[in-house]
Amino acid sequence: MNDTMEITVNGHKETVPGSSTLHSLIQHFKEYDGDLIVEHNGRFIYSQKYAETTVREGDVVEFINPNIGG
Amino acid sequence: MGGLGSVSAYYLAAAGIGSLRIADGDFVEAGNLNRQILHGTGDIGKPKTQSALEKLRNLNPYCDITPIQSILTDENILDMITGCTVILDGTDNLKARKILNRASILKNIPFVYAGVNGFTGMVSTFIPGETPCMECLSFRDTGQNEPIGIIGPTPGVIASIQSMETIKLILGIGDLLIKKLLVFNGMNMTFRKIEMEKNPDCPVCGRNTEDRQFNDSLNKVPK
Repeated sequence: MNDTMEITVNGHKETVPGSSTLHSLIQHFKEYDGDLIVEHNGRFIYSQKYAETTVREGDVVEFINPNIGG
Repeated sequence: MGGLGSVSAYYLAAAGIGSLRIADGDFVEAGNLNRQILHGTGDIGKPKTQSALEKLRNLNPYCDITPIQSILTDENILDMITGCTVILDGTDNLKARKILNRASILKNIPFVYAGVNGFTGMVSTFIPGETPCMECLSFRDTGQNEPIGIIGPTPGVIASIQSMETIKLILGIGDLLIKKLLVFNGMNMTFRKIEMEKNPDCPVCGRNTEDRQFNDSLNKVPK
């Protein structure tokens, strides 16, 4: 396994560790503050799955803050 | 009858919806006027439902509109929604959304969720028993009490989509935003649809709720 890989995070190409999970990416990009929605390759991933969801080369990840205003 | 409700109520009354129940406990303030287009400068200080009623009746006097000048509570929500075909989210806080969501499930009424913040917004249509519910998304109350800044056109876009979803629901046509969260970003002008499945750990509709008994007070649903 490569030490690093390239994925897309919030629309930008990023180089991340090759063994990343969504959980580790949240830590890496400091997205643990506040509330969070995680989209992985177009799918909503629930928080209980972050640690077991591995990320591969070319994957697309979006970190989104929920909108609760009106 | 805030940013979202102003737009959706207008479009639904204009579409000829037979009856609308509009609920809001607030009064019109100057800071509302950038986006709450049902209200004007002359309405400042008025109950929002009163201000809304005047404009909606002027637009469509044939729409049966019931104003409810009250915040949503566990105690009043079932009376508010009983008999309704669709629940539209026009709220501005998570607590009210949870009340609406749980009532939607209890009464088996579709719930068109929407939320906005700054230049971004989200919409999804939740069908009890068929789709995730709003609380599957596990939004957490972070305790933030400061007002959320919202650029005026953002609820215009999002509530227009809500209105379109509602019309499609009523008519039984088109593809709804079911099992999809539509995310709009006005800064880079993008729309994205995120596929969603039910959250098995959802405290409201997850698999562990099979033995739970909802009752009319909603008090036994975990907060």
